[in-house]
Amino acid sequence: MGNIKKLLFLLGLFGYILMAKEPYVDKQLQDRIAKKYKIFAKKRFYYLQKTLDSVQNGTDFEKLDAVNRFYNDVRYASDMKVYGKKDYWATPWEFLGKDRGDCEDYVISKYFALIYLGIEPKKLFFTYVKSTKFKAAHMVLTYFKTPRSEPLILDNNNRKIFPASKRKDLIPIYNFNGESLYKVSKSGANKKVKSRKSHKKWDQLKLNMKRKKI
Amino acid sequence: MTFFKQIALMLSIFLLIILTTVLALNFTSANQSVQDRLYEDAKNTATSLSLSLGSANGDISMMSTMINANFDSGNYQFISLIDVDDKVLYERKAESIQMDVPKWFSNIIDIKAPIASANVSAGWSQVGMLNVQSDVSYAYKQLYTVFKNLIISFSILAFVGLVLLNIILAAALKPLKRVQLQAEAVTRNEFIIQEEIPRTKEFKDVVLGMNNMVSKVKAMFDKGNAELKRQKELEYTDPATKLRNRKYLIDKLPEYLKIDATSRGGVEMMISISGVIEANEILGHQKVDKLFIDIAKIFQECANKYENSIVARMNGTEFSILLPDCKADDAKTLACGICEEADKLIKDNTLDTKVTFVSVGLYEYNYKQTIGQLLSMCDNALTQAKFNTPHIHLDKAETATEVMGKDAWREIINKALQTNSFRFTFWSVVNVQNKEIDHDVISITMQTADATTYSYGQFMASAHQVGLSSKIYQNVINMMFTSPDISLKGKTCSLRLSYEYLHEQNTYKELTQLFKNHASKLPFKLILEMPDKLVRQNSQEIQLYKKLFETYNIEMGIFEFIGENVDYKYLQDIRPIYIKAEASYFISQSDQAISSLRLITDSIGISLIATSVMDTQTLDKLEEKDIHIIQGRATENFI
Repeated sequence: MGNIKKLLFLLGLFGYILMAKEPYVDKQLQDRIAKKYKIFAKKRFYYLQKTLDSVQNGTDFEKLDAVNRFYNDVRYASDMKVYGKKDYWATPWEFLGKDRGDCEDYVISKYFALIYLGIEPKKLFFTYVKSTKFKAAHMVLTYFKTPRSEPLILDNNNRKIFPASKRKDLIPIYNFNGESLYKVSKSGANKKVKSRKSHKKWDQLKLNMKRKKI
Repeated sequence: MTFFKQIALMLSIFLLIILTTVLALNFTSANQSVQDRLYEDAKNTATSLSLSLGSANGDISMMSTMINANFDSGNYQFISLIDVDDKVLYERKAESIQMDVPKWFSNIIDIKAPIASANVSAGWSQVGMLNVQSDVSYAYKQLYTVFKNLIISFSILAFVGLVLLNIILAAALKPLKRVQLQAEAVTRNEFIIQEEIPRTKEFKDVVLGMNNMVSKVKAMFDKGNAELKRQKELEYTDPATKLRNRKYLIDKLPEYLKIDATSRGGVEMMISISGVIEANEILGHQKVDKLFIDIAKIFQECANKYENSIVARMNGTEFSILLPDCKADDAKTLACGICEEADKLIKDNTLDTKVTFVSVGLYEYNYKQTIGQLLSMCDNALTQAKFNTPHIHLDKAETATEVMGKDAWREIINKALQTNSFRFTFWSVVNVQNKEIDHDVISITMQTADATTYSYGQFMASAHQVGLSSKIYQNVINMMFTSPDISLKGKTCSLRLSYEYLHEQNTYKELTQLFKNHASKLPFKLILEMPDKLVRQNSQEIQLYKKLFETYNIEMGIFEFIGENVDYKYLQDIRPIYIKAEASYFISQSDQAISSLRLITDSIGISLIATSVMDTQTLDKLEEKDIHIIQGRATENFI
């Protein structure tokens, strides 16, 4: 009997190893980050992984909330201050490594973390908005449960997630979904090719992600 | 294919490949750039239009108007607005594509206009996706212009490049061309020294090596020439009187005593000076020698009146004067003159003409006689003359009764010429060392209407006599070229041309025409043999024949060679393929003379062939002299 228990335990362990999800930041990348941004950065990524693991089996909203809260703890800083450039879209590793960034960097990091958690990319949009409170151009991540439903706004200025109708301080200007821009259209133009490019900033970000820029 | 052509071809192909590759790369890059441009345009439109569409708050009619305005003002293939359920909300498509480029171009070149997309939203709500594709016809037009310009500029580049390449190669390989010419000259046994030494190391070494080799061969030839000249002087000249000697006469007589000799006969004078011992006692050796020289001058003067005459000193007191075509009576008058002049000189030297006198034995010979007969008859006549007063005696050869008279021969030969009744016969010249046939000698026979066949020996003497020999040669050569014997295909054949025929005014012209029309169709390799008597003059006429023969790939051979010339440079200039001489000539030559001759002939690649080799004894003697190619009856043992 004892033997059967042992066997079952071993089978369970084996199954768990097989089924276990790859970490959001792999070991090799973690070492590189630790080397570049020192031990605190490594810790931040450790807590990120812990946060993500905690909502792995949660609802979409729980995932959105956890990710939003985690990243909103990062301090805001302009691109000019952090990167010496007027506008730069940082990879999630640069953002959390430096532990600072501007609104696009929050949106990007939240987007990829949510994708990691299994949220469908077509539900997430990068939305250019105007903040009436700060009277400035701003960007938020929007979540559409269905294409026609009211979106939820993930904003770095607000720790809580609200539906769009509750955010009177934001005026939407333009939104895009990087992945959907790559999709081959089913309309009459299916004989033609879709460009491998979609959005200049987005394309550059994807390239940086591929190169694992930290 | 020459080295130059190979290099030129290789580099030209290389250049063209490079140019074509660059052209292809340029074109591909232009194609890519045009396609990128198409996308950028579409993308810009998509983004700006999607922003505008956002302001329509989902009003389809408003959005359609905006799309129409954009579509009509620009070059687009299509603009479509798709809603979130992938349903087409509005679409505009170009009705037909007007291509301003040739059909083949649009068929070959595939321009893909990428579709640019942008999300469209109204406030927070999604409206859908806007897709924009630019019109490709404009891109085709642009690309076709680029293509035309590229082709023009690359064609010019290729042309200029190939011309330059050719010029550079020609300049670089110029020394090689000179080396090649020098090598070809060496093959032709010509000695060319390259004065201009190339700078390229490899070429320089080759040129220096070739120059060195050519210099050595030339030196060898010069040495042989000098040696042979010295030999000939010793061999054929009497040192005291500077007249020819007995050996010369003996070597030369076969030319006069043969069927097709130019002269039918003449008179041979044998002159003896008696009382020389007494004269020596009275005058002393020196004065007697001077007297001999003076008397020799008389002989020379007499002989000069006759073409092809030979004056030779036979021994200490005897002289010979060969007078071809001289009548007995004329010779007798001449002999009287000689006696008178000589007596006068003897008297002038205070000598007694009863003791010291000149006797002249005259013998009227004909071409059918042998050398032995001729000399012994002359000796007889001279012996007789010594007892005569004046000391002159004339003997005549017993004239064989001719079967046919001159007129009968003339008639037969003329008929044969008219009916073209000459036929070819052949015999072989054999190299006894390897027992192989060196070449075949072509001879002719004549057939008469009554089916009698005359051999060359039978009719040619009479043909000479009646002045038809040249016509026979003309006829025969014509026949050989116009209807050649096919059985000779692939062989090498020789034909002897007579001195008289070659000297005829029209011969060169006729041969030129004949060669021009027929030489290329001749199925065998032809060697035309020329008499040494003519060739050694190395005249302009001979040079013309040499050039003519070279032009039509016909070789020149020399026959009746006795090495008479004082200089053998003509052999180097003419470069005959072989020299034919009587076997007796080779046998009578000293080893030194033969080796000197060999030094010359070997250095310029001339074979030595002995003719009239009748028996194995002669053959053995020739082999001792290192003569291995023979012509005559003895060849039968090797065929």
